[in-house]
Amino acid sequence: MAQAVQAGQASGAGHDAGHGHADHPPTSLGLDHRKLLMWAFLASDCVFFASLIATFMLYRNRSQQLGEGPFPSELLDIPFTSVSAGVLLLSSFTMVLAVGSLGRNNIRATRIWLAATSFLGVVFLSGQYFEFTEFYHEGLSLQTNMFGASFFTLTGLHGTHVAIGVLWLLTLLFVSLRGGLSEKDAINVEIAGLYWHFVDIVWIIIFTLVYLIPYQDAPSGEGEQETEAFVRLWHLLPFV
Amino acid sequence: MATIAQPQPQTIARPAVTTRSTGLWSWLTTVDHKRIGILYGVTAFLYLLIGGLEAMVMRVQLAAPENDLISQNRYNEFFTMHGTTMIFLAIMPLSSAFFNYVVPLQIGARDVAFPRLNAFSYWVFVAGGLILSLSWLANAAPNQGWYGYAPLTERLSGAAGTYGIERNVDFWALGLQVLGVSSVAASLNFVITILNMRAPGVTLMRMPIFCWSTLITSILIVLAFPAITVALILLSMDRFAGTHFYIPSIWDGTNLILTGGDPLLWQHLFWVFGHPEVYILILPAFGIVSEIIPVFSRKPLFGYAVMVYAIAAIAFLGFGVWVHHMFVTGLGPTPNAVFSASTMLIAIPTGVKIFNWVGTMWGGQIKFTTPMLFAVGLVSQFTIGGISGVMHASPPIDTHHNDTYFVIAHFHYVLFGGSIFALLAGIYYWFPKITGKLMDERLGKIHFWVTFVGFNVTFFPMHFLGLEGMPRRYASYAAGSGWGFWNLIVSSGSFVLGASFLIFLYNVAKSLQHGKPAGNDPWDAATLEWSIPSPPPVYNFREIPIVRHRDPLWEEKYGHAGGEGHQAEESLDISIAGKTISVGEVPDEDPTEQAERRLDAGDTHDIHMPNASFYPLVAGLGLFLSMMGLIFSYPRLPIGALDLPMLTLAGLVTFLVGIYGWSFEPAS
Ligand code: HEM
Ligand SMILES: [Cu+2]
Repeated sequence: MAQAVQAGQASGAGHDAGHGHADHPPTSLGLDHRKLLMWAFLASDCVFFASLIATFMLYRNRSQQLGEGPFPSELLDIPFTSVSAGVLLLSSFTMVLAVGSLGRNNIRATRIWLAATSFLGVVFLSGQYFEFTEFYHEGLSLQTNMFGASFFTLTGLHGTHVAIGVLWLLTLLFVSLRGGLSEKDAINVEIAGLYWHFVDIVWIIIFTLVYLIPYQDAPSGEGEQETEAFVRLWHLLPFV
Repeated sequence: MATIAQPQPQTIARPAVTTRSTGLWSWLTTVDHKRIGILYGVTAFLYLLIGGLEAMVMRVQLAAPENDLISQNRYNEFFTMHGTTMIFLAIMPLSSAFFNYVVPLQIGARDVAFPRLNAFSYWVFVAGGLILSLSWLANAAPNQGWYGYAPLTERLSGAAGTYGIERNVDFWALGLQVLGVSSVAASLNFVITILNMRAPGVTLMRMPIFCWSTLITSILIVLAFPAITVALILLSMDRFAGTHFYIPSIWDGTNLILTGGDPLLWQHLFWVFGHPEVYILILPAFGIVSEIIPVFSRKPLFGYAVMVYAIAAIAFLGFGVWVHHMFVTGLGPTPNAVFSASTMLIAIPTGVKIFNWVGTMWGGQIKFTTPMLFAVGLVSQFTIGGISGVMHASPPIDTHHNDTYFVIAHFHYVLFGGSIFALLAGIYYWFPKITGKLMDERLGKIHFWVTFVGFNVTFFPMHFLGLEGMPRRYASYAAGSGWGFWNLIVSSGSFVLGASFLIFLYNVAKSLQHGKPAGNDPWDAATLEWSIPSPPPVYNFREIPIVRHRDPLWEEKYGHAGGEGHQAEESLDISIAGKTISVGEVPDEDPTEQAERRLDAGDTHDIHMPNASFYPLVAGLGLFLSMMGLIFSYPRLPIGALDLPMLTLAGLVTFLVGIYGWSFEPAS
């Protein structure tokens, strides 16, 4: 004898779970499709950044070895970037608050925290813009040396991720202002949050590898002293 | 006791169909996994034919020594486009066609997890294919090899003039970049579909093995493609932004200036992607034959669990062997030894699979239908390629083989004798399900034998040529080299192979018109897709089936004792929505009764199918335009008032319109 139940499958409408039908059918793992999608995408993005970071690490000291300035130790302004890194970390906090408030169906708070998160993202991006132009005026461009090429590529592509995140958050904010966001859409904000936190975590790694770990000295003896370099590790402290 | 739903007469209830289901527009906007599968299949097969023609031009050129049918640069273009077309535009999307068509049916789902993302993947694939193909029209086809070794891919200038200024490589780099977007999007979709949309009772270890190979191939794509994405971004930066990631030195007119760039970085990034890529090409093939061999041996797959572990082991190890493509680049004895060992290790799970297929056939009642012939063809021919692979896993031997025809022989035994054989087997096997018509068996068998003979005549002598030292990638060879004889044999073999495809096309055309009706289950097969009509209705399953056995259909038709290896699995529980419920609790209702009850209640809207959407096409078009704008931005090509950087911008805007339109339209 045959049996069948209407143990529903998402009838392919995964993308809209939570939009219309409240009785959205369950999934095999009990996890929302879109959340799973975001996790899988982030796994992919990990390899993306790993490849970029490996490239950066390969060329990290190349310019010093060849004696082609400007050198990283002359350019990097650690206190400045520490502040903007702090801003980005703070934005993860506001992101958590945004997700939390929507979970409690507090739409007003959600809007505030979404706005705050995008604002902090924009502050970070402005910091990056300032830093890039600063370096450019000091003579570092993509073409100058391997440090320029790999630094701008790595941090630039990270910045692109942040910019996409800001665009996404602003879209959510826009939707919520038009009354299109409620408790049942919490998942939409949650996956934006996953992405946002990931981009933050990647920045912590980039910040450590690009800014905090000391560079080899340039042949002319330029670059920072060993002790000074050690002291830089203190900049990590606020984040542990 | 039966375990799956009987196919329902379609008259009982019809889903509310809101969109037109025929005509060009319906195909452009479709989000139905079956239609997208057909689109993938037809497009990819077209590319398979194009790639084949490119190969035959090369074979005519090489048929005799010192031939000058085509120029050396043309020859470079042909082998580059042949390789790129076959790998990215033929085999991968043909596999994708089967993922699309078969996987949702095998796991008892009505579509994939993200139908519009699926359509997006297809249109982006078309965009990437177009970018690559249009290079011929611009008379600037890529000419640096499918592996794109730096610094051949760079714009260089030296004492002897400039090199690589034209856009050949740009078509390649940006075309592949777009294809990568397509592959990753499609794979993410399949990972989620398989993990999350299995019908009740389809536990991971009860999934058909083809679903396993799809799952693991998709994971490979998700984790391997970012490496080539980065490699191509760096290459594009070199070509468009003046960086020197892969250029060790530049020429300023009088001096060579060291830049510090490293061409080997390309090779590492490329092969970190490239070796997993070869498994991306072969694992779906393994999945297909693992479906076919049991059906035509009348026995369940031998060692199912071990097969699953073997696929997983191959995929895992596949990330740790890339340096075997770089043995002669001088990395030193330690890396060579380590990667030689890891490469040999990977042959173990591969061998396990071969033995399990043999074990499945062992003692079975083998029926040599056309799909079975091609499947057994894979088992024998892939093995030859595997053996030559293990040979050049040894660095000293590879030093002899590298860059010779021996390597060409190796990878054609695995790619043609492996992937293409299996894809043809898959077409013969699922054609009745897709079209509702049976293919002509007699023509099919002729097709198989012509292919088999043509394939071996074409590729086996390449082993000899390679060992005698004939280098690959050369447009010509000297009359005194002594290579003329085997080259002539090889070239004539390629014509036999060409003919085999004509037989196949004839068979397809004939069967489409005059094929006998297939019925639900022409092969007396074991998996869910054969429980529904051929071709399946849009919604696939009238009722979502409940599965209690690895071979649900055999279980239904013959009961548990249907053959050796059919252990009762009654004790296994069923999981619905992440919750485990024991079998006894599953509502035990006659489907006809249930359906009638629903009909009484006037309920004909119980199946929600996703809406058609044209935004995926818009987004794909946007990517296409932006990449074309970039390609023609340097050297600048002013076409009237059309400023090409504007084209890039317009493309990006189109892309965003596609993405936003898609996010804000209702899905179902
Ligand atoms: C038993 C498993 C295998 C082993 C041990 C193996 C080993 C190797 C080695 C050592 C090379 C480098 C040869 C050289 O360039 O000197 C190679 C090349 C190649 N292999 Fe395999 N292989 C295996 C299976 C496969 C499979 C399954 C595929 C694809 C379906 C494949 C496709 C290729 C391709 C395309 C190349 C040439 C790449 C190029 O230089 O253009 N191999 N293989
Ligand atoms: Cu390999």
